[in-house]
Amino acid sequence: MKPERVAKLVARWVRLYTRGLPAPTARRRIDEIDADLHDHIAHERSQGTSDRRIGLGIASRMARGLAADASWRGQRAKATTAYRSAVCVAIATAFFLFWLVGAVGLIGTEGDRADMMYGGVLAVGILGAIVARFQPRGTARAFGMARVLVAMALVQALIAVIALIAGKHEAAVTSVAELVGLNAMFVALFAGSAWLFRHAARKHAPADAKPRD
Amino acid sequence: MSRRKPGTLLPLETEILETALSMRHSEQASFHGFGLAQSMREQTGSRSLTGHGTLYKALSRLEEFGMLTSRWEDAAAAVGRPRRRLYELTGQGARAAEQALADTADHAGGRFPRVASEPA
Repeated sequence: MKPERVAKLVARWVRLYTRGLPAPTARRRIDEIDADLHDHIAHERSQGTSDRRIGLGIASRMARGLAADASWRGQRAKATTAYRSAVCVAIATAFFLFWLVGAVGLIGTEGDRADMMYGGVLAVGILGAIVARFQPRGTARAFGMARVLVAMALVQALIAVIALIAGKHEAAVTSVAELVGLNAMFVALFAGSAWLFRHAARKHAPADAKPRD
Repeated sequence: MSRRKPGTLLPLETEILETALSMRHSEQASFHGFGLAQSMREQTGSRSLTGHGTLYKALSRLEEFGMLTSRWEDAAAAVGRPRRRLYELTGQGARAAEQALADTADHAGGRFPRVASEPA
C-alpha cells in the first residue's frame, strides 16, 4: 500500500465533500489537508516507518474524521444558503424600492423631491457593505452585513417619520396608511434580510461564543 | 462524536488549546495541523493521530470562537512542499487553556471550561 495512493484517495474525498461550498472555504480545506498529508508521509518516512503502516495510518485518520467532515460540510452549506438568501432579499428589496420611487414615488405627489431621501437607504447599504466586506472572516462579515441591513431598515423608518412630520400625507394622492404601510413593508424586508445574515453568522459560531477576541 | 453543551468547549478543543499553550511555552508560537496532531499524540501517549476531519473541524471552530488565528505560510518558506496553514493562540485562547489546566488540576478532570461567561 503506497502512502501516496492513500493520500490521493483522501484528497479525492476532500474535493468531494467540499464540492458546492464557496470557493475560498473549499480551497482552504483542500490545501490544508494536502499539506497535512505531505507532512505526515515525510515525517513517518524520516522515522523509518514502513509504507504499509504509513498508508494504514492515513486511511485510519480519514475514516475517523468522516463524521466530522460530513457535519462540517452540513454547517457550511446551511450558512451558505442563509447568506445567499439574505443577499437576494436585500438586493431585490433595494431594486423594488428604487423602482417604486422612480416609477410613482412613495412620498407626496409624483416627482416630490422628498423621495430623494431614499437615496440615504441605498448609501447606507453600499457604504456598509463595503466596510463589512473588509471583515477578514465569514462569520464577522455576516454579522457586519446584519448590522448594515438593520441600519437600512432604521433609515427607511426614519424617512417615513420625517415625511409624516413634514405633512406629506396631506397630499391628495398620499394617505397616512399608504405612507406608513409601504415604508413598513420595506422596513420588514430589510429586517428580514438582516435576520438571515445573522442566522448565517450563527451557523458558524454559537450564540454565546464571542466572534472575535 | 461529543455533543456540545452551550457555552462550553469540547474535550478535543480543550486538548488543542492546552497543546498549543505548551507549544507556545516551548517557543513555538505558531503551529500547523499535522504538527499539532503529532504533539497531541505525544502528550496523550496515544498510538494514533487525530482524524483529519475531527482535527480541522475543531481548529476551524476555535478560530471562529476567536481562540486561534491563522494565516498561510509564506510561499518562500514552503520549498518542495505544499504551503501550511499556521495557527496561533490568541489571548482569549491562552486564557481558556490556562483555565482548563487549572480546572484539571483542581478537579482531576471531568469539567469543561466555559467559552463565555453566560450560557445561551
